[in-house]
Amino acid sequence: MKRRLNSKNPASLIIGLVVLAILAIAILGAPLLAPYDPVAQNAAERLEKPSEKHWLGTDRFGRDILSRTLHGGQTTLLSSLLALCAALAIGLLVGMAAGMFHGSALDHILMRIIDVLLAFPFMVFAMVIAGLFGTGLVHLLLAVVSVWWVSFARLTRSVVLHAKNETSYAAAKVLGASNLAIMRKELLPKAISPVLILATFELGTLILSIAALSFLGLGAQPPAPEWGSMLADGRAHFFQAPHILIGPAAFIVATVLAFNLIGEGLRDRLDPYEKLEL
Amino acid sequence: MHTVLLRKLLEALLTLLFATLIIFALIRLAPGDPVRLMLGHPGEIAAQGTSAYDEKVAELRAELGLDRNIAVQYVTWLGRLAQGDLGTSIFTGKQVGSEIAARLPATVTLSLSALLVQIALGLIFGMVAALRSGKLADQLIRIACVALASTPAFVVGLVALALFAVKYGVYEISSDFSAARLWLPALTLGVLGAPQLVRIMRANLLTEFGKIYVSSAQSRGLDRKRVVRHAARNALIPLVTMVALSFAGLIGGAVVIESIFSWPGIGKYALDSILVKDYPVIQGYALVAVLMVVLIHFLVDVVYSALDPRIHHKGEAGREEKA
Amino acid sequence: MSSDNRAEALEVKGLQVAYEQNGRRTTVLNSLDFHLGKGEILVLLGESGSGKSTIAKAVTGMLPPSARIGGGSLRGGAERIPDLGKPGIPWERIRGRGIAMLFQDAQSALNPVMKIKDHFKESLLYHGLASAEEAAAISAAMLERLNFKDVRHILECYPFQLSGGMCQRICLALALCLEPAVLVADEPTSALDTVSQKEVLDLLRKLQREMGLTVLLITHDIAVANAVGNRVIVLNKGVIEEEGDTRTVLTRPASAYTRELLAARNRIARPARGLPPAAGKPVLEIVRLSKTFGGKKRVLQQVDLTLNEREILGILGQSGCGKSTLAKCVAGLERPSEGRIVLRGADIGHLKGKARRETSKRIQLVFQDARASLNPGRTALQLVQEPLHYLRIGGKEERKALAAYYLREVGIADEAQTRRPPQLSTGQCQRIAIARALVLRPDILICDEAVSALDMSVQAQILELLQRLQRQFGFSILMISHDIRVLRAFCHHIAVMSSGSFGERKQESGRLHESRQPHTQLLLKCAGDMEDGLV
Repeated sequence: MKRRLNSKNPASLIIGLVVLAILAIAILGAPLLAPYDPVAQNAAERLEKPSEKHWLGTDRFGRDILSRTLHGGQTTLLSSLLALCAALAIGLLVGMAAGMFHGSALDHILMRIIDVLLAFPFMVFAMVIAGLFGTGLVHLLLAVVSVWWVSFARLTRSVVLHAKNETSYAAAKVLGASNLAIMRKELLPKAISPVLILATFELGTLILSIAALSFLGLGAQPPAPEWGSMLADGRAHFFQAPHILIGPAAFIVATVLAFNLIGEGLRDRLDPYEKLEL
Repeated sequence: MHTVLLRKLLEALLTLLFATLIIFALIRLAPGDPVRLMLGHPGEIAAQGTSAYDEKVAELRAELGLDRNIAVQYVTWLGRLAQGDLGTSIFTGKQVGSEIAARLPATVTLSLSALLVQIALGLIFGMVAALRSGKLADQLIRIACVALASTPAFVVGLVALALFAVKYGVYEISSDFSAARLWLPALTLGVLGAPQLVRIMRANLLTEFGKIYVSSAQSRGLDRKRVVRHAARNALIPLVTMVALSFAGLIGGAVVIESIFSWPGIGKYALDSILVKDYPVIQGYALVAVLMVVLIHFLVDVVYSALDPRIHHKGEAGREEKA
Repeated sequence: MSSDNRAEALEVKGLQVAYEQNGRRTTVLNSLDFHLGKGEILVLLGESGSGKSTIAKAVTGMLPPSARIGGGSLRGGAERIPDLGKPGIPWERIRGRGIAMLFQDAQSALNPVMKIKDHFKESLLYHGLASAEEAAAISAAMLERLNFKDVRHILECYPFQLSGGMCQRICLALALCLEPAVLVADEPTSALDTVSQKEVLDLLRKLQREMGLTVLLITHDIAVANAVGNRVIVLNKGVIEEEGDTRTVLTRPASAYTRELLAARNRIARPARGLPPAAGKPVLEIVRLSKTFGGKKRVLQQVDLTLNEREILGILGQSGCGKSTLAKCVAGLERPSEGRIVLRGADIGHLKGKARRETSKRIQLVFQDARASLNPGRTALQLVQEPLHYLRIGGKEERKALAAYYLREVGIADEAQTRRPPQLSTGQCQRIAIARALVLRPDILICDEAVSALDMSVQAQILELLQRLQRQFGFSILMISHDIRVLRAFCHHIAVMSSGSFGERKQESGRLHESRQPHTQLLLKCAGDMEDGLV
């Protein structure tokens, strides 16, 4: 049996990027592209199936689903990206510090904090925050960031510990590099690609989780056209009018799929630390 | 090895302790006077504004120890928890502890069944993908995994429900906790979580295939099956850790599934309680969830130590120091 | 494989192998013929890139997917493979009982989560050579035959609990209990220390005598060929330069290439210009240095050592003895648990932060793996400037000029200075590493097995370079190696380390044989035996 390396097939990367580009254009251009006002209600056209007039149909208030989906994407995507950037920054910082000062009190404390946060399943934490502090997208995002940085921190720390064993690290130390210089020149470059790859996957999961929480009624509240809340809206009428969910669901799947494909493509090309994801 | 286990047990307890601290802090940080919130029981609202109400507030405050300093509050609270007193539900007036205990079996059954499905699918498809790496089967599996990982849980759940309950009528829509109703939610939850395991299993196996001991086994003339077995033995060990992480995700994911399938577990209970701001229940749910996760992590640690001889023979993942 | 009265155990004709990567095809072997007689030990001797490993993998069907076999036939025993390039060869039938294999990294060649006894049991049961009960007895007997004491304990061990030498003998036992017609050993002793090397090679010879074991042994080490080979084939870039009886080839070589190889080897033993003079004053004093890892593992114990100005001091030791840890402590990569490291009167062992980094100007280190110590994305010029950059020495122009100067001194011409490591040879990479270490004008240069991973000819060049630079710039060298020949020729004094300490004071390298330490005597004997007969 011969071991084949991951085929350097750029297909997934390209498809992912293309889909993402299309979605980005559609969503960011919502104000221009959407045919209707996303919050405009029209009782006469309630729960209409997809037709030429309304490509994705209308919801129970007669609002055009396509327009709502396009506008809603802005909220979803932008807030996800924001949350991800925050989590990424914190995670990289913490992971780098913990790895750099491995074995010290700082490392132990940080690892302890990480362990404790890992004890909270994300959903549970989000639910607790929603329950205690109220629902809404902002609270949701805070909950997300509080817990999400942990996976980035762990990966970064893993990479750093691995890198510390390498000759190039020892060489840099012997040559008089300060800790900061080593972090910048040796460790950060090594950590960037696996962390970025993880980030693309996590972004997908993030969008799914935000959607799920909104679906459950804990996230963005109506009438905000955020994808998850649109799904919550449509849930009540799902069996009679399944088309309500199709619009936002399809966009969610497409977005997350795009990110996952990009992640897979990147990983095939770049990541020597695949096993370290654990 | 026993020292290792003892240390891990201690760490688990410490983690649990800090988790309770976080939960306590969150509750205290939440807006609103806990007492008035607790007295928000429908029957009591009418009494607001009267002196009898104020008396009740003072009484409850003293009873909860809210007039004492925060550290003492924490310790008393902790003490109550240790005795199993998770407070009283504002909405129903019943003991949170017993309410959760009544619903816990449903969630645990669901989570464990889903876990089994996940593991089975992960192992099988991960192995197939690794063995046929680069070929059509591998590509198909990877495509299926990516597609599944991109689909929201509730979509899959709703579609499953629509198909099997509405269209084919083989699934009963009710709120019962019964074996007959377990299969669909467990399958759904398991299938949703499988892609991650498939990917890790595939990656681990491929890594092992590249190692020298596999070539060595080949050079001894062993057939493909046995050579793969050599690799699998090593690839499975880190997978065990993955299971622990999966389980945390399962407990969270169960909430959505329980909601869609009306499965009477603690997730659904907590969800309903959030919408009516029943704080003690939320608190109880968080505590129980955290306890389960820490417990699973600890068990997984034990199993891992037992499986990897490098650990249980040396007490540490023995990395030979090359002098 | 059924027995055969033919005198040839293995016959290979017209072997053609190329590797294809990123669309580029590199031919490694071009129509190679060789044969291996029954009961003979044939050594394939060659430097890196000669194709010797490719041959080993080709005859066992273990070439990587990027290999393209253009042709070649294999004949051994009852097996006849007319075309190695065609798919569908029943390798599973041939491997194990027909052709067995030994790998360089023996510990990695064993399944880390399986006990030794289970390795044996699996092999024996699979090939139908024994029942479960018999397997235990057979494996025990084989291990005893291979000089193992306490066999019962060994069988219950996991690979990580055993040393490299033991693992290799176990792999040998595993291969032998299948009674293979041919044993292919790919650099079986390269990763082992001198004593273990000798042990394994002696075992091969003993088994050859006692059971007519037939071996195809791949190595780059002339001493190994000398110690164990009946016949030698000298390989250069996929072409057989010379073939014949070992004694003849290694003492009266016919081909120019072989002569070159031997000459390079001898250059190491007898450097052209002799040793530069050593001054008297101590520059580094190590006093009762101890290092313990994790509170339990004592790697260095009460080490005392003095290094003088302009002295070249060799630290000789086998793997695991602690010499690398000593180097790391001196270089500041590890902190001593006890004891002092005194540089020109100043205690540097416990310095931290900025002060520690200042010592980098005085003590530098060259690593074994040159490529790994250089960032592949930077040019030679940039690499040599790194320490100046880290320690903020000089301005941009100054740094560049200094870097260019030192690169020229180590033999990297101006045109090569803008190249990056992937475009340079390993020898050139090590030169760059040396230039980078010297740009700070250190008092002490530590060479941690700096030439061990290099081809023989390149080794000689780098050693001569170091000598010249030492003479020119006047620094001291602390040379860490397991290779006695290198140290004897190159160093003023040698200190022998074993199990974390020096048994006795450093000796003049010319008088090492007068040492009373049993460990040192054993080392010298093993090395001497392997070289016996060589010029």
